[in-house]
Amino acid sequence: MSTADYRQRNVRWTMHGLKLGTLLFLLIVGLGPLLWMAKSAITPTQDTLRTPMALWPNGFDLSQLATAWTRVHIDRYLFNTIWLALGSWAVQLVVATTGGFVLGVLRPPGSRVLTALVIATLFVPPIVLLVPLYLTIVDVPLVHWRLIDNYWAVWLPAGASALNVLLMQRFFSNLPREIFEAARVDGAGPARLFWSIVLPMSRPIIGVVSVFAVIATWKDYLWPFLVIRNQNLQPLSVRLPIMEATTDLGVFIAALALSSLIPITLFLIFQRLFLTGEGVGGALKG
Amino acid sequence: MRSRTRRLPWVVAALAVITATIVAACGGTTTSNAPSAAAPSAAAPSAAAASAPAAQHEPVTISVGALRPGVTQDAADALFQQIEEFEAKYPWIKVEPEEYNWTAPTFTAALAAGTLPDVFTIPFTDGKGLIAQHQIVNIDARVRALGYADKFNATVLANGQDQGGAIYAVPTAAYGMSLTYNRSLFTQAGLDPNSPPTTWDQVRTAAKTIAQKTGVAGFSTMATENTGGWQLTTQTYALGGRMEQVGADGKITATLDNPATKSVLQRLKAMRWDDKSMGSTFDYAWGTMNQAFAAGQVGMFTGGSDLYTWMIQNAALKPDDYGITVIPLDGSDSGVLGGGTLAAVNVVTTEAERDAAVDWIDFYYIQKLISQDGAVADAKALTANKQPVGVPALPIFDKATYDESQTWIKDYINVPTAQMTPFTSKIFDQPLVNEPAAHTQELYAALDPVVQAVLTDQKADIDALLTAANKQVQALIDKP
Amino acid sequence: MSTITGAAPAAETAVRRRGIRVRISRDGLATLLFLVPLLVVFGLFAWFPILRAFVMSVQETNLVSEPTFVGLDNFARVLADPQFGIAVRNTAWFAFLALVFGYPIPIILAVLMSEVRRGRGVFSALAYLPVVIPPVVAVLLWRFFYQASPTGVFNTILGWFGLGPFPWLQDSTFAMPAIVLEATWAAAGGTVIIYLAALLGVRPDLYDAAEVDGASIWQKIRYVTLPQIRTVLFVTLILQLIATAQVFTEPLLFTAGGPANSTLTVLLLIYRYAFQNSLGGDYGSAAALSLMLAAFLSIFTVAYFWLTRRWGSDS
Repeated sequence: MSTADYRQRNVRWTMHGLKLGTLLFLLIVGLGPLLWMAKSAITPTQDTLRTPMALWPNGFDLSQLATAWTRVHIDRYLFNTIWLALGSWAVQLVVATTGGFVLGVLRPPGSRVLTALVIATLFVPPIVLLVPLYLTIVDVPLVHWRLIDNYWAVWLPAGASALNVLLMQRFFSNLPREIFEAARVDGAGPARLFWSIVLPMSRPIIGVVSVFAVIATWKDYLWPFLVIRNQNLQPLSVRLPIMEATTDLGVFIAALALSSLIPITLFLIFQRLFLTGEGVGGALKG
Repeated sequence: MRSRTRRLPWVVAALAVITATIVAACGGTTTSNAPSAAAPSAAAPSAAAASAPAAQHEPVTISVGALRPGVTQDAADALFQQIEEFEAKYPWIKVEPEEYNWTAPTFTAALAAGTLPDVFTIPFTDGKGLIAQHQIVNIDARVRALGYADKFNATVLANGQDQGGAIYAVPTAAYGMSLTYNRSLFTQAGLDPNSPPTTWDQVRTAAKTIAQKTGVAGFSTMATENTGGWQLTTQTYALGGRMEQVGADGKITATLDNPATKSVLQRLKAMRWDDKSMGSTFDYAWGTMNQAFAAGQVGMFTGGSDLYTWMIQNAALKPDDYGITVIPLDGSDSGVLGGGTLAAVNVVTTEAERDAAVDWIDFYYIQKLISQDGAVADAKALTANKQPVGVPALPIFDKATYDESQTWIKDYINVPTAQMTPFTSKIFDQPLVNEPAAHTQELYAALDPVVQAVLTDQKADIDALLTAANKQVQALIDKP
Repeated sequence: MSTITGAAPAAETAVRRRGIRVRISRDGLATLLFLVPLLVVFGLFAWFPILRAFVMSVQETNLVSEPTFVGLDNFARVLADPQFGIAVRNTAWFAFLALVFGYPIPIILAVLMSEVRRGRGVFSALAYLPVVIPPVVAVLLWRFFYQASPTGVFNTILGWFGLGPFPWLQDSTFAMPAIVLEATWAAAGGTVIIYLAALLGVRPDLYDAAEVDGASIWQKIRYVTLPQIRTVLFVTLILQLIATAQVFTEPLLFTAGGPANSTLTVLLLIYRYAFQNSLGGDYGSAAALSLMLAAFLSIFTVAYFWLTRRWGSDS
């Protein structure tokens, strides 16, 4: 659309109308369910059941939030989820930065083969891994550990993300070589190179990978469901469906609302990351 | 290239170093299960080990799956109190309760992962299967040492025994199917809650009345997580049909497409689509059905006779609403589907833990049925924490023992027994029928979609669905 | 990309091909140490399980007894299972519905949003909001919305317009579209953002040139916009198809494959084989079906790119 187009009156009004319509549509469809969830979190159960669209006919019930937090122990599950996300993030970063560094900067002989092997995992749908990975977790080869009910069962497989490695590798290999050469001449070994030069220059990509790693853990359901059986260790995504059958509806919706707070907040803060081109890579992954 | 071969030892060294570091970092994980160092032994332990002199007991810790998820704090407290009493009696044993609930989909994942507690419960249907797979411990000698092994009802005990009669799992509870109904809804609909339906035609009429007068589902039936097949089997037995036939040669034939089952499905279809008395939700499982009933959304349904406790503990049931009567039986060969629970011991346990496990099973599950002290102590712990006492059950020993145990706790009974008399007064006259013997849970799973189809698709072809399900189950039975 | 030009291109290439010259004796160990996380994590939790999947698919395994080699029996059993046909049909149906609901709408939204001059960020944020909600929360919320009684949320809203209560998840014909609706709601935002980025990346001078040639709005869309974003459209199409072929969480949490297996997808069937039998799963069949799905998706992807190579190549 150009300014010339806009000069025609019917085009202008149509476009205004369409844009307004789009805004309304997005508000109702995108925001509506979330607003309803927030409203119902503080509406007594009976009102939600009988007149779900009414606005607090009998007043608020803020205690539902408190009940969700304390009696239903959302606080514990939230903490578990955070802890799970942090560990996952750390493992993913360690694997992706070190691996990307070797494959993208150092490039020893054989790195082409290694990169191809990493890319190969992208072509395998995650479902193929489900059962054998589960068996591996039940009995890790060589060391015969049982990682069930252990957060490492979630952290370690999360690190095997080819997308992360490739993103890092691509970013690192695009860094200007002269800096490396200069550091080399000064006698820096790979460790120094990594720590003092590559990492500081990689803040943007590390930021992107980090945010998506945390969100991915928040959304993960099937895997933690399979490997974390102990109630006290389960994250929110696993716990919420289980507790639905034995939790009062109003309290349950409050729990749902509380569980969404952190992802929504992260999104609002880091909007640029999600909504720009770099977010495309993450969106493809997530 | 020379550089590559020279690097090889470095590779090995580096890997070894890193692996060792990871081992050190991760090695501190403890699970509440016993370490898997002890080799599971399928051989019967010697009697001497079971009756070691009381003075020589190593401290031992066992995990028990006795806490249903989502249970109220009071119910948990009752359990903790009983654990304290147990630990006082057996000071060398420490008991750790774990959240545990048997459902078909979750049990197998726990089994595969080895995360089951040391003592866990399974339904009658799975006893023999787990025994055949050597996944529960042979506790025959230990149980017989307790002295009451031969007083068990033989049919009931058989669920936990292997071919040779060795006991692998102890029956802890038996139930019969019932028709559970909401007394308040009955009153609201103008029906007499003290005269619940006694024939299936009456059930159908009552359902229609309730639906018309109160707007909720008059009759509902479970349909997911294998409970659909379970209740369909129950209602089939009530009309005299059977899901499996055992020939004289021991060969098992699947008979899912028997006339009684077809009749049940046709009646459900009529109630659903013609009478419109089954409400609008058709994906109930065991827990959600109880929840809906407690919330007053269901007028009647067929289910176990032991649901009162769960509904009070987990679904805020109003005691006045609870009504229970026997399932209407119609036709020759009709009977009540009987089921129950077994307590078993995980194979991943040491000998000492197994001794402790059997002691726990004896204390927590059996004593209240056979000894006055045990019964009174159990009743006291429950009433102290506002838990139901006196919920009807079926005897796992004999009727005389059961009656006796009820008199012991007479003063503690706090459930509305008057509301339960339509059931308790007639259940012992009804023939009890065991669940289908072969591939029970898979049979139920094959029938779930049939029930769901009848309830959600007006054009469902009952004959075709049953034939397909029958074929599926026969294939499972025939598989070597 | 590189700013080093000039004197010794041959040596330069040698350096770039070998990375920064890694001095063997001192740096070899450091390099290896850096590789260890990748090797251990990928080795144990990616490459080894993939190989294991192949092995398991030809074995009979239930984790209790020793696995026995059974050749292609698992594959045969899966193919003969009536649930397999149902699952394939349902998955195809889901993919089709997801395309119908979820492919055009993001494009239209993105086109409209690309015309917004000020405040586009608000639009983008609103569109993307459903994507950040954890799937479990979204499904549980929508499952409540879909309650079939007249006082269910959606039934109440539709009641305002005089539309009768719908059975939603309680009807074997309705259940799948209902699930697709939620899945689309939860995922469309991501696609909108991708399209938006592509649309905004179209060079404005192309539009100016078209205008000079007297093109109308529709003609501009048809001859400038669409060809420019063709590659993105094709890539998102194939990615969406691959993703929907693996849909699992939604059918599991909404209906567990019901009612009457009308929402049973291939992934849900794999899960059933492995985990739903209370006496021990059939891991061999689960592995076999996973491999079959992987093979299908790979062939499908290759065929797709081969077929569209002529269309997307000049972007």
